[in-house]
Amino acid sequence: MSRLYDTVEPAVIDEEMLLKAVEEQGPKEEAGRIAKQEGIDFCDVVQLRLDFKNILKIDNLWQFTRLTKLQLDNNIIEKIEGLDQLVNLIWLDLSFNNIEIIEGFDKLTKLEDLTLYNNRISVIENMDALTKLHVLSVGNNNIEQLENVKYLRRFKNLQTLNLSGNEFCDDGNYKAYIVAHIPSLVYLDFRLIDESTRVAANEQYKYSIEELEADENAEERKRVSEKEKQDLFELHKSAYVENLNGPFLFDSMFFDDTEGPKLASLPGVEELLITFKEKFTEICQQLFEFGLQEHAKRKKEVSEFFECIEDAKKENKDIAAEKIDSFLAYKKKLFSEIQHMSDQKVLDSRIEEYHKEVNVIWDQLMGYELQLVDQLEETIKEFDRNMADMVSLFVENVQAQISQCRELENQHHEKLLEIAVITLEKFVKNELDDDVPDETKLLLVDKDTIQNAVSASHDLHLLKIDNREDEIITRANNWMAALMEQIHQDEEIKRNRDRICEINNLIDHLNDELDNLDLHGGL
Amino acid sequence: MSEENHTPVEDGLLEETKEDSSESKSTADVDQTPTIEEETEAELEESEDVQAMREELDKIKIEPPKIDLPVFENLDAYPLSYKENDNKETLVLQYAENFRRQFVHLYRDRKPLLLNPLNECGVEKFVCTTIRPTLLPYQEMYDYDGAAEFVADYITFVPLAPPIELPKTLFSPATVLAKQKGHCLEMSTLLCSLLLGAGYDAYVVSGYATKEMCLCDETREICPLMQKKKEVKKEEETKESKKYTVKPAKDLRSKFIMKQEQRKIEEQEKEREKIRKEEEEKQAELEKPPPDDLFGLRIHSWVLVLSGKREVPENFFIEPLSGGSFPTDDDNFLGIESLWNNTNYWVCMQDCSNGCKDLIFDLGDCSKWEYMFPHIEKPQLQIPEVEEDALDFDDDEDEEKEEEKHLDLPPSWVKTLCLTLREFQTRCPSGKKTLLYKRAKLEKFAEYLNKNGLVTKLSVYEDKELQQLVRIKEWYSNRLDKLQLRVHNHRKGIVTEYYASGRSRHLKEHIYKAVTPGPESERTMIFYHHARVDGLKKRDETATEMTEYFVDRDDFLYYRHVVFGKRPRKLEPAGSNPNSNPRPILKIVDRFHRNKAKPANDDVAELIFMMSEDRIQLMFHHEDTKISASTREFLKPPNANDKGSVLTMSPDMTSTFQVDPNSKQPKDLIIYQMLVNLLEREEATVNMVRDSEEEVREILSDRDHEESVSELSISVYDTERNEKAKQHRKELERLQMEEKMRREEMELDYLAPFLAQIGDPEKIVKAQAFTLKEDCLADLKHRLIDKANLIQARFEKETTELQKKQQWYQQHQVSMNKEDEEEYLNYCSEAMFRIHILELRLNRHKETAPHKYMALEQKLRTDSRLAEYF
Repeated sequence: MSRLYDTVEPAVIDEEMLLKAVEEQGPKEEAGRIAKQEGIDFCDVVQLRLDFKNILKIDNLWQFTRLTKLQLDNNIIEKIEGLDQLVNLIWLDLSFNNIEIIEGFDKLTKLEDLTLYNNRISVIENMDALTKLHVLSVGNNNIEQLENVKYLRRFKNLQTLNLSGNEFCDDGNYKAYIVAHIPSLVYLDFRLIDESTRVAANEQYKYSIEELEADENAEERKRVSEKEKQDLFELHKSAYVENLNGPFLFDSMFFDDTEGPKLASLPGVEELLITFKEKFTEICQQLFEFGLQEHAKRKKEVSEFFECIEDAKKENKDIAAEKIDSFLAYKKKLFSEIQHMSDQKVLDSRIEEYHKEVNVIWDQLMGYELQLVDQLEETIKEFDRNMADMVSLFVENVQAQISQCRELENQHHEKLLEIAVITLEKFVKNELDDDVPDETKLLLVDKDTIQNAVSASHDLHLLKIDNREDEIITRANNWMAALMEQIHQDEEIKRNRDRICEINNLIDHLNDELDNLDLHGGL
Repeated sequence: MSEENHTPVEDGLLEETKEDSSESKSTADVDQTPTIEEETEAELEESEDVQAMREELDKIKIEPPKIDLPVFENLDAYPLSYKENDNKETLVLQYAENFRRQFVHLYRDRKPLLLNPLNECGVEKFVCTTIRPTLLPYQEMYDYDGAAEFVADYITFVPLAPPIELPKTLFSPATVLAKQKGHCLEMSTLLCSLLLGAGYDAYVVSGYATKEMCLCDETREICPLMQKKKEVKKEEETKESKKYTVKPAKDLRSKFIMKQEQRKIEEQEKEREKIRKEEEEKQAELEKPPPDDLFGLRIHSWVLVLSGKREVPENFFIEPLSGGSFPTDDDNFLGIESLWNNTNYWVCMQDCSNGCKDLIFDLGDCSKWEYMFPHIEKPQLQIPEVEEDALDFDDDEDEEKEEEKHLDLPPSWVKTLCLTLREFQTRCPSGKKTLLYKRAKLEKFAEYLNKNGLVTKLSVYEDKELQQLVRIKEWYSNRLDKLQLRVHNHRKGIVTEYYASGRSRHLKEHIYKAVTPGPESERTMIFYHHARVDGLKKRDETATEMTEYFVDRDDFLYYRHVVFGKRPRKLEPAGSNPNSNPRPILKIVDRFHRNKAKPANDDVAELIFMMSEDRIQLMFHHEDTKISASTREFLKPPNANDKGSVLTMSPDMTSTFQVDPNSKQPKDLIIYQMLVNLLEREEATVNMVRDSEEEVREILSDRDHEESVSELSISVYDTERNEKAKQHRKELERLQMEEKMRREEMELDYLAPFLAQIGDPEKIVKAQAFTLKEDCLADLKHRLIDKANLIQARFEKETTELQKKQQWYQQHQVSMNKEDEEEYLNYCSEAMFRIHILELRLNRHKETAPHKYMALEQKLRTDSRLAEYF
C-alpha cells in the first residue's frame, strides 16, 4: 500500500463518491430506473463497497444507519473512526490498509465478520463490544506476543480465525497454542482443525489452560455475585428501604456528628450507645421488611391491573376484528356481484346498501370503542383508589416506625444529657478518675457548653431521621403519581385516539374503495 | 338335584359294574311292568281312584342315568404319573374323600364338590395337583390379559354335556394345550396354571354363571374393540375472576323473554330425552336374552385373581372362554361353590343368592371359606401382633410340631407345559377364529396366515341378524407398506386407511371414497408432518379444490388453498399422461402465521394469487393493538408471464390500504421489488401445487402397486419365515456336505487301477499281491523318472534359447538402440531366473523321489488287502 501512498493523492469520502458508489452498486434495469427516478436515500442502503479508492480517513458515513456490510479494503486508512453510527454493521472489511491500533468498535455490537488483514496492528485489543464475532482475520500484521491471543478467548462464537503472517507464527508451538487457548475455533488460517490436533494441543497446554479457566471462572463468579448484589439493591431501592437492613441509618446519624464521638467517650455512654444502636437497628430492620412486603404487594397489584387491562383490550380487539372480517367477506361478495351487474337500478340500490352497511359497521366499531373506554375508565379509577390506599397505608406505617426511631433518639438524648451533667459535676469536683480525652475535656467546661454539644448532636440525628422519612414518602408518592399519569396518558387518551383514527381511516378507505370500483366498472 | 342322585360320579372306577347294575335295573324295570299291568287288568273294575292313580303313576317314568364312558385313547403316550397314583397322591385322595364325606354329612343340601375327577388316562386325580404353574417364554404370557386372550383363542371350547352337572373328567393342561380343546374347567385350570406361573395370585373357581357366559355367547355383548375408550375429561380451568376484570357490557335484552325461551328449550330437551329413553328401554327389552330355565344351575368355571401380587389393585375374575376380565360383582357370575389352586382347596360358605356381589374373598376367614388343608401358610386371619409376640415362643414350637403332622400336597402329576413358537403364533386352531358380538362379527387370524397380512377383521352390522353392513374394520400386521388399519364405512362409502410411520412419503391416514379411488377426486391425506421436510400435515382434496395444512414451517405458511378450473379440451387420446395437460389453476390462497421478527405491516398474513384475473392480493397481519389490517393489491403487468422480459412498472398497477394513515408510504423501488418477488413466488407456488398433484398421483399409484403385491415384511430374527436366512442356512449346510464329500473323495483307493487290471478279484492271492506291488512300484518309478526327464527337457530348451539369443545379440549389438538393448537384458535376466528355478526343481525332485518310492512301498506293505502276504 505504501507505493500508492507515495504517489497518489489521498481521496476523501464525499457525497459525490458515495452517490457514485451507491448508484453503481444499487439496483439494475427497471428497478434501477425507478431508483434513479426516485433517488436513493443513504439510510436505506444495506451494502456499501468503497475499495481501491485511496481513502485516508473514514468519514461522512453517518447517514448509512442501516448498513450491514461495509468494504473499505485496499485504501490507505490509518485510523479506525467514524463508524459509531453504523450500529447494524455485521460485515466489515478493513484489510490492506495502514491501521496500527484496533479501536473505534465500541458501538458495533452486531458485528460478526471482521477483517483487518494486512495492516500494521501490533496488539489485539479494544474489541470487547464485539460479542457476536464469528470470523476474524488479523493476518499479515505485526502482532508479536503469542500471549496476546488469549484476548480472543472472550468471543464465545469465534469459529474462524486467521493469524498467518504475524511474527509469532514462526514459533513452532503457534498452532497448538492457539487451538488450545481458543476452544470455540473450528477453522484456523483457512484450515479445518482436526480432532487429533485439538487433542494434542489440549494435552500440551493442559495446565496453563486449567489455570486460565480457573481464573476466568473466579472472575465470572465474582461478576455474577456482584450483579446479584446490585439487583438486590435495586429491588430495595424500588421498595424505598435501601440500606435499612442494618445499622446504616444509625451510622449515618453519627457520621456528620462532630460532637458525637467526643460525647461517646464520656463514662457510661458507650454502653448506652450499644443498646441504642441495637434497638434502632431492630426498628430499621422491621421497617425494611415491611417495605419489601409492601413493595411485593404493590407490584402484584400493578401487574394484575395491567393483565386485566390487556385482557379487556384483547377481547375488545378480537370482537372488533371479527366484525371487520365478516364485513370484508360481505364486501368481497358484493363487489364481485356489482362488477357483473348491468342494471343501473339494482346497482344503485346495492351501492346504497353498501353505504348503509359501512355506516352500520362504523357505528358498531365506535360502540365497542366507547364501551371499552367506559370499562377502562372505571377500572382505572378503582385501581387508582386502591393504589392510593395502599401507598397511604405504607406511608403511615413508615411514619409510625420512624417515630419510634425518633422516640429512641429522644430517650437516648435524655440519658446522654443526664450522663453529661453528672460527668460535668464530677469533673468540677475533680472526682473524675477515668482519663477522658482532651477533646471531651474541652466540652466539660460548663453546663451550657456540654448541653449545647449534646443537643447539637441530637438535632443532627433528628435531622437525619427526618430526611430519611421525607425521602421515603416523597419517592413513594412520586412513583404513584407517575404511574397514574402514565396510565391515564397511555391507556386512556393515546389508545383511544389511535383507535378512533384507525376506525375512521378504515371507514374512509371502505368508502373510497367503492368509488374506485365504480370507476373501473364505468370503464 | 340332590346328593343321592349323584353317587355315580364319585366312583368313576366302578363304572363298569355300575353300568352293569343299571342295565340290570332297567331290565328289571321292563320285567316288572307287565306284572303290574296284569294286576291292573285283574282289578280293572275295582275303582276309578285306582285308575286315576295308575295314570298318575304312568306319568312317572324312570330313566336310568346314562353314563357315557369317556374315551381314553392311546394310554401309552402318557407318562407314568398320568396312569397311576403314587403313595402320597393316594393319601391325598383319601384325605379329600374324607373331606367330602364330612362335607356331605354336615351340609346335606349342598351340591357335590369337584375333587377327584378322572384324568385322560381314567385315573382319579386331585384337582389341586392338576394345576401346573408355568411361565411360557412369550412376552404376552407375562400379563394376565395376554394369557387370558391366548387361552381363549388357542383352546376351542367344548360345552359341558349336561350343563348342570360337573364334568367327570378333568384332563391335564398339557393335554388340553396339545389337543386345543377342553371344557370350561380344563380351560380355567390351564389359565390358572399360566397365571400362577406369571406370579399372579390366581384360583380356579367352580361355580355357576349365566347361559351366555357358560356358552361363551357374546352376541349380546358389545364387541370390546368397539367400546369407546373413556375420555378423560379435562377439568376446565375455572377462570379466576381477577380483581380488575372489566365489567361486561350491559345486557340490554329482556330477562323475561330470555327466561321464557330458556324454559321452552328445556321442555323440548326433556321431551326429547323422554322419547330417547323410551326407545332405549324398548330396544333393551327387545334385546334381552330369552329367560333361561336352568338359570342359576349352569355349572361354569373361571379364574379368580386376588389383589396383592403383581401390583393387582383389586380382586377380579377372568373368564377363560372369552378371555375377558370382569369385576367380582358382575351380574353374569351367579355363585361360587369352591375354589382352588396348587396349594389348597376352599369351599365357599357364603350365601350366593345375590350372585357374587356380596362375596368376600378373605380366604383366611374360616367362617366364609372352609379350607381343606390347614397347614398352608397363606391366608391366616390377621391376628393383632401384640398378643402374638407375648406367646411367640411356645406358639412357634407348637406350630412346628403341628405342621409336621400336616399333609402337604404332592407335586403336580402333569408333565411340563410347552408350546412352540409356531404354535403360539398360530393362536387359534388352524389360525382362524370367528366371534359373534352384538351387531358385530370379529374374525381373528394368525400372523402371516393371510397373504395380505390381515390379522383382525371386525364387521359391524346395523341389525342383529348380521345382514346390513355398516362398516368393516381390518387390522393388518407386518405389511411392507405399513398399512395398519383399514376402515370401510359402507354407509357413506368412505375408506379410511391408517399407516405406521416409515412410509416413503410419511402418509399417516388416507380417507377416500371407495367409488372413486383415482386422483383428482374427494380425499383427505394426513401425514406424519414432523418427518416431512415441507411440514405438510393434511391435504384435503375435492374434484376442483385442494387444501393443504402445514405445521412448523420456516416460512410460517400454514394453509394453502388451490382452486382448479376445468381442463381445456384437447384432441388427445383419453389415456394420455395427465401431466401433459394439467388442470388450470384459478386461484391460490396462502396463509401465514405471524412472524414476530417482522413488523406486522410487512408480515403477510394472506396471499392470494388470482390467476384468472391476473391479480395478486396481499393481506398483512394485524398489529397487536389494531383491529384492521393493511392490504395491498397488484395487477400483474401484461408481460409478467414472458420470461426474460423486463417488467415495467406503473403506479396504477398497485393499490393499498394502510392501517396507520400517518405511516410513510414505502418507496416505489420497494414496491417494485415486492412485485418481482411475488411474481417469482407465484411461479414457485404453482410449481409446488403441481408437485403436490404429482405426489398424490404417485402415492395412489404406489398404493395400487402395494395393494396388488401385498408383501409382508419378515423380521431378520424370524428364522422360520425369513426365506433369505433360511436359504443362507441351507447353503451353509450344503457347503458342509460338499466339504465332507470332498474329504471322502480324497481318500481314493490308489490300488484301484491295478485291481481293475486283474479284474477286481474278491480275494487277492499271493502271486497277485506280489505283481500288484511290483506294478504299483514300477508305475511310481516310471512316473518319477518321467517327471525328472520333463524337467530336464525344459531346462535344456531354456538354455538353448538363451544361447541363441546371446548369439543374436552379439551379432546385432552395433545396430541396436537403447530400448532393444534393455529388452534383451530383461529377457536374459528372466531366462536366467527360469533356468535357475528349473535347476532347483530338478534337484529337489531327485532328493524327494526315493523318499516317495519308499513311502509307497511302506504303504503297500501295510495295506490291509496285501498285508497278509508281506
